[in-house]
Parts: sequence; C-alpha cells; structure tokens
Amino acid sequence: MMIAFAALQLLLLLPMSWVVGRSNSSRTARHRASYTIAIAGIVALAHLAWSAFSLPGLDWTAHWLSMETPYSWAPAFSLITCLMGFTAIALSPISETRPTTFRRILLLISVALVFLAIRHPIGLAVLWSASALITWLELRDLEQPRGIAKLFAIYHLPSAVAFALGAILLTQGHSAAGLVLLLVGIGIREAVLPLHSWFPPFVQHAPMGLVVAFFAPQLGVYAHLELLRGELPHQLAHSVASVGAITAVVAAALGLAQTNGRRALAFLIMSQTGLVAFGLDASSPVAQIGALLTWQVIGVATAGFAMTLASLEARRGNLSLTAPVGSFTRTPRMAVAFLFMGFASVGLPLTLGFVAEDLLVQGSVDEFPVLAFALILATALNGVAVMRAFFMLFSGSAEHIGECDLTRREAGALTLVMAMLLLTGLFPGGTVRRLEHVTGDQGHIATEPDLGAVGDGHRRAAKMETGLEIDRF
Amino acid sequence: MMKPVVDLMVLGILGFPALAVLALGLRAWAYRPWSERATVGIVGFAFTAAVADCALSSVWLLTADVTEVRVPLGSWFSVGHYSFDWNLIADRLSIPFAAFSAVLLGLVASFSRRYLHREPGFARFYLLLAIFGTAVELVVLAGSLDLVFLGWELVGLTSALLIAFFHERRGPVEHGLRAFLTYRLCDVGLLAAGVALHFMVGTSEVGPSTGGPWAGFVVPSTWAGATIVGLLIVWASMGKAAQLPFSGWLPRAMEGPTPSSAVFYGALSIHLGPYLLLRAESILQASGLAAGAVIAVGALTALHATFVGRTQTDIKSALAYASMTQVGLIYVEIGLGFRYLAVAHIVGHAAIRTLQILRSPSLLHDHHHLEQAMGTQLPRTGGHLERLVPNALQPWLYRVALERGGFDALLKDWIVGPALRFIGRVDRWDQAWVDYLTKPSAVRERRSRHDEVRP
Repeated sequence: MMIAFAALQLLLLLPMSWVVGRSNSSRTARHRASYTIAIAGIVALAHLAWSAFSLPGLDWTAHWLSMETPYSWAPAFSLITCLMGFTAIALSPISETRPTTFRRILLLISVALVFLAIRHPIGLAVLWSASALITWLELRDLEQPRGIAKLFAIYHLPSAVAFALGAILLTQGHSAAGLVLLLVGIGIREAVLPLHSWFPPFVQHAPMGLVVAFFAPQLGVYAHLELLRGELPHQLAHSVASVGAITAVVAAALGLAQTNGRRALAFLIMSQTGLVAFGLDASSPVAQIGALLTWQVIGVATAGFAMTLASLEARRGNLSLTAPVGSFTRTPRMAVAFLFMGFASVGLPLTLGFVAEDLLVQGSVDEFPVLAFALILATALNGVAVMRAFFMLFSGSAEHIGECDLTRREAGALTLVMAMLLLTGLFPGGTVRRLEHVTGDQGHIATEPDLGAVGDGHRRAAKMETGLEIDRF
Repeated sequence: MMKPVVDLMVLGILGFPALAVLALGLRAWAYRPWSERATVGIVGFAFTAAVADCALSSVWLLTADVTEVRVPLGSWFSVGHYSFDWNLIADRLSIPFAAFSAVLLGLVASFSRRYLHREPGFARFYLLLAIFGTAVELVVLAGSLDLVFLGWELVGLTSALLIAFFHERRGPVEHGLRAFLTYRLCDVGLLAAGVALHFMVGTSEVGPSTGGPWAGFVVPSTWAGATIVGLLIVWASMGKAAQLPFSGWLPRAMEGPTPSSAVFYGALSIHLGPYLLLRAESILQASGLAAGAVIAVGALTALHATFVGRTQTDIKSALAYASMTQVGLIYVEIGLGFRYLAVAHIVGHAAIRTLQILRSPSLLHDHHHLEQAMGTQLPRTGGHLERLVPNALQPWLYRVALERGGFDALLKDWIVGPALRFIGRVDRWDQAWVDYLTKPSAVRERRSRHDEVRP
C-alpha cells in the first residue's frame, strides 16, 4: 500500500505546489502550503493506521519499484516527513520566504515522500539529484550572498554524480566501486567531515524552511539503509562509523565557538547527523536503533528548533551569540519552545532524543569503547551549545524591542511537535519495536548463505532481477 | 498484602511533584498561569503529599522490619538484551533523603510566596522548583544509575535556569551558563559510568543488599573495572557538589533568588554528589583508589574553601564557601567509610545552611538585633586558623585566597581559553576554504594584503 498512499500524496502535493507558487503573496502561499501539507499528513496518518491494523492492501506488485513490502517503519517516517514539512512551512517567515520558495519546499517534501516509497537505486539517484536541483534553483534566486549557489553546486554536483554512478555500478554488480561512490555522495549530503564545508553557509544564508525541507528528511540515511545496509565490508563500516563519531565531536566543539545563531545551528545538526552515521554503521542492533531514532529526532526536534530560530530572526534580525542581548519577558512561549526543542534534539530526559542517545551509546560501547565516550562528550557539548544559544538570544537585556511572541499558527505547529516529542519519549516502546524490524532484517541478510558474502553487490543485482525485496523475511 | 499500597506510596513521592509540574506547565504554555495562591497551593500540596508518603513508607519499613522495598514500574524501552527499566528503591538511605528533600522544598515553596510576591517570574520559579523537586526525588529513589542520570540532568537544567532567574542582567546569565557547562562536563562521567556498568556487569541497577546498611550498585568483578566505574562516579559527583577543580560556579550561583540558592546550594543539589557516592559506596570501597580519590578531593576542597571563604566580603559568597567546606568534609567521611556520620552531617548541614541562606538578606538586621540584645558588639569569630598559620605565610595566603586559589584563572587561561582559541582557528580555516571556493579573487586579495604587511 506504500505506493498507493505515496501516489495519493503526490497527486495532492504536485498540483498544489504549482498553485502555491502562483500565489499573489507569501502570506497566501504559506496559508495554502500549510493546508496542503496538513492534508498530506492526514494521508500519512491514514497510511500509518492502515499499516498498524494490518488492513488488506492492493494485490499489485511492481518489481522495478519494489514498493509493496515497505519497511514497517516507513509509514511512520512518511508521517514524520509531513510533520517536518508542516513545521517548515507554518513557521517560515514571509520576510525571507517567497511563494516560489514555498513551492520548492512542497516539492522537496514530495521528493522525500517518494524517496521513502522507492527502493530501486536508479530511482533513488534520480530523486537524489532532483532534491539537490530544486534547492540549487532556490539558492540561485537569492540576492545575497552571491556565492552560495556556487558553493552548493561545487559540493552537490559531485554528490549527485557519485550517487548516480554508484547506483548504476551497484545494479550492474560492480559493488566495490559502487559502494565507495555512494558513500561519497551520501557523505557530502550528510555533511560529514571533511565534506561538510557547504553546510554551515547553506544554513546561514538559505531560507530556513528550505533548509529544513532539504536536510531534515535525511535522504542520505534512507539511502544508506536501502543501498549500503549490510553491504559494507567490516573495515569500511568501521571507518565510516569512526568518521561519523569524529564529525559528531568536532561539530559539537565547533558549535561552541560560533557567534552566529544560524551557524551554531548548522554545527548542531552536523553533530547529530554524525551520530546517525556512526550508529548506522555500528554492528550492534541497539546502536542502529539509536541511530534511526536520532534520525527521527533530527526530523522533528531539530526541524522545530531551526524554525523557532527562524521565527526569532524574522522578528529581531541577525542573531548574534557574542553577548546576551535578548529578553524572554514578552516572548515566553518562543523561549520555552526554543529551549525545549533544542534540548529535545540533544537528549533532554523523557523525550525521544534521550532514548535515541541512550541506545546509541549503550549499543556502541562494546564495539567502539573510545568512540562511545566521544559520543557522550559530543552530546554534552551540544547541550551546552543549546543552553548558550538560549541565554544569548533570550536573556541579558531589560529592553523590550517590540518582538511579539509566537502567533497562534506558530504556537499550534510547535505544540504539535512538542507533544509528539514528549509522547514518543514517554512511550517509546512502539517506535522502538517498529525499528527493531530493520535491524532484525539486517541480521537475517548478513547470515543468509545463498546470497554470498557481506559486501557482495551481486546479491543486490540478483534481488533486483528476481524481484526479491530485502526485508521480505 | 500491604506491598501494593507501599508501592503506591513510594510512587507518590515522585508522582505528586511530577503532577504539579504537569499542572503548572500546561497552564503556563496555554498563557493561563495559575494565580499566586493557587500556584503555591499546588506546589505545597505536592510536597506535603510527598512528605506524607515518605512518612507512611518509613513507618511501614519499621513496623514490617524490612530494610528496603523495591518498586518495579516496568521497562521504559528495551532492545535485545538492553533494557531501560523504571525501578524505585525505598530504603534506609533513600527514604530519609526523600523525606528531607520534600520537607525543605515545601518550606521553601511556602517561604517564597511572600519573598517573590508580584515578582514577574513567580510562576516560572515555582515551575522550576517543582521540576527540581521531581528530579531530586527521582535521583534519590532511583533503583539504577540510568534513572539517576535522568533526574541528574533535570537537576542541572533547573539549577542553571534558576541561577539565571533574573535574566535581564548579564551577570546571572553568564553564571548560569558557567554552572551548566560544569554540570555537563561532569555529567559525562555519570553517563559513562552507567554505560561502563552495563558493559561490565550487564546492569546498572542497585544490586541485592550485601550486609551493609543499604544496597549499592553491582560491583564489577575486577579491581580495574571497579576503579574505572568508581572514578567516573566520583567525577560525576564533583560537579554538582562543587568540589575542586569544579568549584568556581558555586559562589556565582548565588545570583539566583535567595530561596532557590538555599534549597539548591545549601541543601539539596549540592548534596546529591555525596548521596551518589553513598549509593555507590560498595564500588568505591572495592576499588580503594576511588575511595582515596574521594578523600583527597574532599580534603583539598575543604582546605581551599575554608581559606577562600574567609576573604569573601558578601554573605552569600561566604555561605557558598562554607557549604563547599562542609561538603568537602562529607566527602572525606564517605571516603573513610563513615556512612552514618556522612548522612547525619548532610542532614544537619543542609538544615542549618538553608536557614542561613534564607536569612542572609536580613543579615544586617539580625546582626543589629543580636548586638542590641547582648548590649555589646558581637565577638569576632574564626580566629583559630590565624593562630595556626605562621605570620610570614598569612599575607601570601590571604592573596591566594582572594584570588580563589587561582583556579578560575587556571581554567580560563590554560584550559577553556586555549581550547576555544583552537576551535575558533579551525572554524576560520573552514571559512577560508569556503571563501577560496566561492570567491578566489577575494582570497588572493587578502593574501596579497597579508604579504604587504609582512616584514
């Protein structure tokens, strides 16, 4: 049923993105886009309910697209993608977001939803390039700074090319070269060290809604799961995990030295994605589930955090972190949302972020004792970065400069996000159980004798030919 | 038959403050805060109910002649062999602490009603106090190190936010951030200790009682394992307890409202470090080295704080150093294995220090009152140390004490400063690379300018 619901969402999002782009004003565009993504979210919710109650699906299989047996968690991620899209749109300030930008945000969310429904490497490569192209078009339209589109292209053109070549090589059975190219492509998109330099300027200068729509769905993680899971040789997987951990620590440290709110956010996100990269390539299922949960947390909490920051920036202008110059006396809700969302993204107790990081650390200590300690240090530094940003932006001044608190629309969206983070944090059992299927599948793949040794791309090619899905076990 | 009732009572110690958090938090988010009277009523009721639950639980423990009661609340989440379970433990260590905490929190809630009357942050203060109360009860009743960490983090967060309570001034904000940085660095030790325990013994839960007055965490089978876990726990406890070299935040923490200073840094938060050590005492003693570290840290801190405290010119800083001194002595007692003495010391110190801090705004008034009552000037106290220290050493010692032992300068100039400068340099390299990619001409110009000024 994944394809049916994804098609339904596309049928809604694609025409509406055109309508949104043709709107007379940004306010109207935001209004239309909000309703559109809300309806797409309802479709995703229906899909989740359908899957939860195991209702009958269409008796139709598509070998090429291999959509009919999605991961058990895919409906949930579809809903999360809609939620992050809703957050990105509802909280996008009209001062920096034009109707065209809203259209591109809807398109990026559409791409992300289809990405979750498709499992063929070539299809994924096409969507991968499409999302980069949409984002580049938006950056090209920006008046300032002029070099940002160029910088984005310098990094994402090789990323798209590497991903496409890797996907082709993988389908042809040339697994070693294919895997390396895919890793390069994904590494650039996920901004792991040392391929990260495009990311801080991107977050600093691009419209925040676009940043969230492009980055928060974490297509790289899905591509990693779909194309690389269980394929990497042990040494390579170990190296990738190490690079992820180093990214997490270095980015967390760099975040502390930032004097601009947006750049600090960029390094916080980088640190979080480093944690995901680390966990995905750890061999322990506990760490892998921790990584997948961190993926969700980035999607929800970090997106909410980023959009709260954008809302504040729209009211105040440049967000400097050099000295405490704000006051939350008149903006208490915004301050609370900022603090809650920030800490939820770095593991506030009783939220999903805490569960994610606990599993990540507990699961990795056996395999990477030193790196597990580094992860703990990274989360500690990220917490300090969030608190520093909160204090610098919301306290230190008695002057009121006319900032208003969250509007009803903004408060509604953030309440939804916060409620989700708290509820999934307080009752994480269902979420964790869904993710257990993923890691369970991997274990099955790794021990499957007739599909050859781990790292053998012929296995994937054989599956593509026979229409056998990875997680049909 | 009574067990389910007792379980509920133990749960209530934690549950009532948590419900108060919910009641205050939801209304505040909806922009409809409770009136001052209702706010105090909710928080006061929560802590009164917690005290009643503590009393009933302890009565049951005594009458049933049981040393402990464990309340398993089920698994929060589990994957494979790893499970995060909610287990509370009520025993001779946790129940007195829980009761004492609830009593002090209730008293401070009552005291603050007039102290913070019509203060703009009134509702915020009570919400943070309720979160803090819940977190403290969670740390105290936690049946595993994982749960301790949960409450520990929340204590740190509320502490930093209350230090920065008067957020319109920069001083409190900067001090709150400093305290939070110290907490987070030390929290690394607690989480690492929990992870290490899971790795070594498969669980971080409080094990069965082994003949001591109360049960402790399961001891790793090897000396090296016990030493690693023990030292990590000591590291974790030093931040909250303001022990050297992490003591600099405590005098600065007094920027917060007096009631919160009293309950955090005179009574509860500062004693959570010793509480953790008492719960982990089996590991400390198994290691020996860790117990020695506790003694060394405590003794050094006590010496440092007693000297520095004597040179302070404001009452809150003097009280902060006095707290630090006493907690240092408590560390020594724990390291030497005097468990009951340490517990009595904690309770006595917390009670007297809370009273002193709460009365500190009225210090001059109290001083005059006493002098009037005695009909003469109050005698000078604390001269015994001056008699012990040689005259030649006194000026040097005075200067060192005024500089707070040089620890602040050491941290700033030798650790934090260089680290931040290095990070800043790495960040500039990154930005220079971006400039090179996007504006090569600008980079060339900058380089040529740089060459021009080079001799």
